Amino acid sequence: MATKGLQGLSKSLGLLRLSTGSRDPLTHCLAPSISRSMATVTSLPSHHASAFEYSSSQSTQTNNVITTPNVLTTIYKFPTMEPVQFQEYSSKYLRLPLRRDLLHRAVVFEGDGSRQGTASSKTRWMVHGAKRKIRPQKGTGSARLGSRQSPMLRGGGKSFGPHPRDFSTELPRKMYDLAWRTALSYRYRKGELIICEDGMDIKYPKEVQDSAKFQPSYLAEMFLYNHWGKSNGKSLIITNEYRPSLFEPMEKVREHGRARIGAEIDVKDLLTLSRIIIEKSALEQMLREHQSDLVPR
Amino acid sequence: MPPRLPALATLCRAAAPTSSPLLSFLLPSTQARHASILGDLRDVPSAYNKRIRRGRGPSSGKGKTSGRGHKGQKQHGKVPVRFQGGQTPQDIVKGVRGFENLFSVEMSKVNLNRIQDWIDQGRLDPTKPITVKELAESRCLHGVKDGVKVLARGKEDLKTPINLLVSRASVAAIEAIEAAGGTVTTRYYTKQSIKRLLKSESESSFTPLSQTFSKAEAASLTGSAGAAMPFTYRLPDPTSRKDLEYYRDPAHRGYLSHMLGKGQGPSLFFKAPGLGVKKRVKKVGADQAAEKNRLW
Repeated sequence: MATKGLQGLSKSLGLLRLSTGSRDPLTHCLAPSISRSMATVTSLPSHHASAFEYSSSQSTQTNNVITTPNVLTTIYKFPTMEPVQFQEYSSKYLRLPLRRDLLHRAVVFEGDGSRQGTASSKTRWMVHGAKRKIRPQKGTGSARLGSRQSPMLRGGGKSFGPHPRDFSTELPRKMYDLAWRTALSYRYRKGELIICEDGMDIKYPKEVQDSAKFQPSYLAEMFLYNHWGKSNGKSLIITNEYRPSLFEPMEKVREHGRARIGAEIDVKDLLTLSRIIIEKSALEQMLREHQSDLVPR
Repeated sequence: MPPRLPALATLCRAAAPTSSPLLSFLLPSTQARHASILGDLRDVPSAYNKRIRRGRGPSSGKGKTSGRGHKGQKQHGKVPVRFQGGQTPQDIVKGVRGFENLFSVEMSKVNLNRIQDWIDQGRLDPTKPITVKELAESRCLHGVKDGVKVLARGKEDLKTPINLLVSRASVAAIEAIEAAGGTVTTRYYTKQSIKRLLKSESESSFTPLSQTFSKAEAASLTGSAGAAMPFTYRLPDPTSRKDLEYYRDPAHRGYLSHMLGKGQGPSLFFKAPGLGVKKRVKKVGADQAAEKNRLW
């Protein structure tokens, strides 16, 4: 057990030597939120798993293949934020360089797609009423007028008004998937991606569990304790499925963050709030769905 | 200066930087602005075009006439694209002539000196069969059209014995490859099958379709699906007479040439002499006929 722990440690140190950035992956893994004390370091369990290692089996024919290093993450137990295990992910998933242009295109693409495009106005031919001439052509001393629906008149039609249309644009699938992983990588690099064990849920103490009105303040207290709350920017909690005991009180403390299921998330959501607290399986589902540029179809 | 010990140095480097970030997060949290990256996203500058402002002064370059030239309909409005001032439009005077043959095949050419060059550079492996897939993947061919034809340019350069599988081969190329101790086989390909071949959806093999098993058949034979057949599609065999005759021909080193019986030619029209089934028609003799026709 101890040797395994040492292996994990030395592995992360090895990664440190590879990393060119100023951030230290070890501390990065140990301290996603700066509230954790160093006391947890000694009790690090050593289950060292790896997933999403991008296999370069197709390119192994060429001799000088540089194997891309994996990045090391720590999986936490959710409410207590106790580190449980290390998890490796390929750097093609969580260590992509920041591409502002790609993120921009992805966010704009999503924004375009989410526009309703239902604005509708009436032209002069759609406005109700008779198209009769409203006053004689000559002799009244005032301007010549035809129908009551003329765009020039009050109550008339609109010449070039909005009509229902589809605003959605297109973005190559591979580009969008790359942008998605770039967003996650950006979060990871800044230490704002906190991965928790599966089954993220809150078990309230008995007195809080009994009266639902205390649950939001309990949650808010937890956010403040972990430095996830309002004063540290809001946090986004992502789980695989709807968890009522977490989601319902979360709606009442919207000043501290949001809780969403993985299927509702898009790139903009990943970038909006200050940090992401995500369930491991939800993260892996995301990565699986957004890897079209890595795996052959 | 003491000599540097690389192993020690790496250890030290590993240990040293841990102290400072650890310290930084032990410090009490300072107030930091949590600005989202969303406000700082932009596409690359070249993705945006600067709007041309017409008629905004001589220094804009599109000032006086706004790029429309002087006088006439073109300055003031628009003129139909094909309109030539009333003269019969050119696309009517000189209409479309000829046609595109939808049935013609265009072969990608590859020459023997290029193949030898690729082998010398280590980009093609002569110990394994060199097929359309290998040629395309080593960029010996820049894309495959309807097939690959091997031509004999630089045939004197070819020294390595190679085992080639392509769509067609010229007579001189076949001669040169076999003189070097290699073999050529020609196989029928379609555009679709080449596409699948390059996507690794079908196997690049010498075996005709008629001798391979489908995925379902292979599964029923071995009892396990998938493992026996990693490929989704099989390569097709020709159906038209012209193609069949080409690939039946041993002179073309066709992959169907094993179908020829002894003494048979590749043609499906002319039978080999002496092999056709003769119908013996008995000549009815005059006296026998008379006997038959007799009533009483």
